Amino acid sequence: MRIAVLGPFLALIAACLFFATQSDRFLTGENLSLVLQQAVVVGIIAIGQTLVILTAGIDLSCGMVMALGGIIMSKFAVDFGLTAPIAMAAGISVAALFGLTNGLLVTTVKLPPFIVTLGTMNIAFAITQLYSHSQTVTDLPLWMTALGDTFSLAGTKVAWGTLLMLALYGLTWFVLSETAAGRHVYAVGNNPEAARLVGIPTRKVLLGVYALAGVFYGFASLLSVGRTGVGDPNAGQTENLDAITAVVLGGTSLFGGRGVVIGSLIGTLVVGVFRNGLTLMGVSSIYQVLVTGILVILAVTADQLSRKGAR
Amino acid sequence: MNVPTVHPVPDVPAVPVVLQAKNLVKRYGHVTALDGMDFELRADEVLAVIGDNGAGKSTLIKALSGAIVPDAGEIRLDGRLVRFGSPIEARLAGVECCYQDLAVAPAMTVAENLFLGRELRRAGFLGRCLRMLDRQKMIDVAGARMADLQVGIHSMTQTVETLSGGQRQCVAVARAAAFARHVVILDEPTAALGVKEGNMVLELIRRVRDKGLPVVLISHNMPHVFEIADRIHVARLGRRAAVLNPKKLSMSDAVAVMTGATAPENIPAEWQA
Repeated sequence: MRIAVLGPFLALIAACLFFATQSDRFLTGENLSLVLQQAVVVGIIAIGQTLVILTAGIDLSCGMVMALGGIIMSKFAVDFGLTAPIAMAAGISVAALFGLTNGLLVTTVKLPPFIVTLGTMNIAFAITQLYSHSQTVTDLPLWMTALGDTFSLAGTKVAWGTLLMLALYGLTWFVLSETAAGRHVYAVGNNPEAARLVGIPTRKVLLGVYALAGVFYGFASLLSVGRTGVGDPNAGQTENLDAITAVVLGGTSLFGGRGVVIGSLIGTLVVGVFRNGLTLMGVSSIYQVLVTGILVILAVTADQLSRKGAR
Repeated sequence: MNVPTVHPVPDVPAVPVVLQAKNLVKRYGHVTALDGMDFELRADEVLAVIGDNGAGKSTLIKALSGAIVPDAGEIRLDGRLVRFGSPIEARLAGVECCYQDLAVAPAMTVAENLFLGRELRRAGFLGRCLRMLDRQKMIDVAGARMADLQVGIHSMTQTVETLSGGQRQCVAVARAAAFARHVVILDEPTAALGVKEGNMVLELIRRVRDKGLPVVLISHNMPHVFEIADRIHVARLGRRAAVLNPKKLSMSDAVAVMTGATAPENIPAEWQA
């Protein structure tokens, strides 16, 4: 594992060094704290995405499901006057339901994950726009935005959401590497037929992975709403590709069965550092999209080449 | 005086039958894969199963290992009637199967592969409540089993993809052998291996048999079959055409039976086992 995350880690260091030379504001505590705060949404989506990619799948619906979860929880709170915890639970449930639907379509109808999630991505986007009338939901209860609040640690502002993200990474790492259920996720991604023949319930594993990914997207909507303080129907559009980029940059193979979830955290930070650094340099956001596109292709190329090298 | 001579009963040791199948039938739509297949595996033997493509040998193996449920017929393990609804049920009954090419997860370690689907958990709170795996114990047990079978792989923490093809296959065979209590079934374990690596796997199979586990070996490789098998089960058209004694006939004789060039009724008695 140490070796597996070394490459992404060096990439992160290199990116930081580069932007430190380009802007003297980059390496300030204030700015790095901002990078971390901006990274939480992509970071938590990337956990769910890692699970899916480890099984040799892909989830294109991640960002849109996150946006839908955010709209559901903010509209439920504002329109129906639900207390924040119930509205939040409703948003997470809807995201989980989308994940479960993805899982059912992949395992039962046996459709390719790419097509299934391309479909649900559009469905989630459409529902989000229809339900919110493309309007931002404001005046949210205070409780709902609490995760976006910060506290001061050694003079640097730390968001509660950052702590939640780190906790979720720790939990996922433990389950993936230290429990049988986690190892079965790797086995299914590595060689589904072998996994089935040794008696691993491969369909249950896949279904669980997609549903759990939905739950993570739900948590991400919580943080998205918390950070921005509103229910934004146009959230999730950059996060969608950013999360996939983060996972691949973190060393998880798109061919499944290889990778560690901590790598995705590092990948998330790489993406975050690029966005933040380019903004500090005054590069327009269109170029940031361009850079993300190039990054993801480079990461996949590295994955492909290293896989050939291993054979 | 006519004293009836007492003929001593020829001293044929009764070799117990470990795994037996009678009249297995399996149809896939219009295709009849098994058409009344019989099967008999004795203790302490390597039984090779040969047959042309479509002769029903892989369907037979799937039925014996629980990967499919036959439409009709019965399977007995140690004389008891069994019905395997899944590979896990067969495994729990002590029948382990190792499938061609499909056996290992390449990016996972040797120890993880050995314990795939039957991982050991830690004792106490960590295992029961946090469901934490006991990595060290799995590594230790895997190392002991591999040493026992004299598979020349010493690091249990290296990933399987770093091993040679022969070593990989040895891991797959060892996994089956390490956990089987009654029967080990190997599907084409030497296919796609070089001469040296194939021999490595054959040596391993011999050691497994010598440890008292009967082995069913499905193979297309006649030299390997003749080198290692004690008896040869010939499948043809979904039935058992014959059980041959490899010491009493040549490879081309066996191929003639397999392809039907020698009809079952024309098989000389001394060929049969």
